[in-house]
Amino acid sequence: MKKIIIIAIALLAGCTRSDQDSKYLRWVGDAEPDPEIDASDFQLCGSEKMVQQYFHFGQGLQYEGEKIALRKRFEEAYRSVETAQSGWIRIRFIVNCQGLAGRFRMIGSDLDYQEQIFDERITEQLLKITQSLDGWAVLSKGGKPRDYYQYLIFKINNGDLTDILP
Amino acid sequence: MRMLLIFVLAIMSSCLAAQPNCNVYMYNGDELKYKACRALEKTRGHYQFSRAYQEALDEVLAIDSTFAYAYRVKSTAYLKSGDFITWKKLMDKAVKYDPEEELFYRASCRYQFFRDYAGAIEDIELLDSLVDYDIGYSQNGDYHLNIIKALSYKAIGKLNESLQLFERQLSDSMYSVGIYDYLHLGVLYLEMGKFSLALRALKQQALENDIAENRYYMALVYKALRDEKRYMENIKLAKEKYENGVKMFDPYVEKMDQIFLTDIIDAMKTEGF
Repeated sequence: MKKIIIIAIALLAGCTRSDQDSKYLRWVGDAEPDPEIDASDFQLCGSEKMVQQYFHFGQGLQYEGEKIALRKRFEEAYRSVETAQSGWIRIRFIVNCQGLAGRFRMIGSDLDYQEQIFDERITEQLLKITQSLDGWAVLSKGGKPRDYYQYLIFKINNGDLTDILP
Repeated sequence: MRMLLIFVLAIMSSCLAAQPNCNVYMYNGDELKYKACRALEKTRGHYQFSRAYQEALDEVLAIDSTFAYAYRVKSTAYLKSGDFITWKKLMDKAVKYDPEEELFYRASCRYQFFRDYAGAIEDIELLDSLVDYDIGYSQNGDYHLNIIKALSYKAIGKLNESLQLFERQLSDSMYSVGIYDYLHLGVLYLEMGKFSLALRALKQQALENDIAENRYYMALVYKALRDEKRYMENIKLAKEKYENGVKMFDPYVEKMDQIFLTDIIDAMKTEGF
């Protein structure tokens, strides 16, 4: 009997692929906490499994004063950098149920969508300004404020910031 | 009851249309693609961002690594999360294996999500060169691809090319006008200083889909024409419509020519008559 149970457990273990075996996280784009780069005081309100995407609320990007206010922050603070680099930089982060942002992650590409590491004078400015934004909306579902992923994509043309998405 | 049945059938047919008909592959003798297509069933019920959905598509692509549709649906979560690098790699494969079916998606997403105007134009022109039928609409249905091409030309500063494309598309008697077509045309005329044509287009937009944006731009035209009475009427109407949510909207991104409440309020504060 004991042998049968051991065999059954072994078979079940073989059939059930655990989350750890997968190359995917819960959702595409999820950012696991990293104590080396994340602010220690940033906390989610709910569990990791409950973090939403900004578009799940059906309202588009929600920032105090609308996107025009967000764009203004970058127009005022970003200084063009003398470089021939162009492309896109995405900074993705989580806005928690109190409207505070954390867990910032960055990717960049050239205009052919090939991964590109941008001049630090560009990326550091963009990251710093993004981290200073304080108008993120608290978004609720079922009457309860939720944590959600938001991203900003910056279009860079020869070191100039020419557009902000989404 | 009959109307309800028609509605349900219409919804069902639109859902079914989103997935390829696997039997077509069998009919064409492509058993591998048929098998891969049937394996799409494993994605059913899973959210497109989820591990289960992505793994199911990996299984589909392990059966047939040339199944373009699977690359496209796999790419969507990357698109919506802003991961332009992975999204483009997946869509390049989709386009490689079935350009006629997949270019519309890559073109319209390049325009909508990344404002990659040159890339959108390139894809639309390539599609146009490959097919001898109407190249169709964007993935969200908001625009005909020729209108996206016109908007992309406008965005890169080629206003005359943009105008030609607008006029050609809108003069096609078989064309079903899009929900924002005349708004964009009106704004283009306004930017070109052709005020009476701008008014005509924006009035047409009011007949098709009267939103805050076309009232705002009409107000700007009247301001340019020094017609203060009509300027005030339209700017107030723009504000009213905006506050009631009658405006351009895309759940993912800001649209071209979209306005914000601050734009309206700033315009109202401006003196200049």
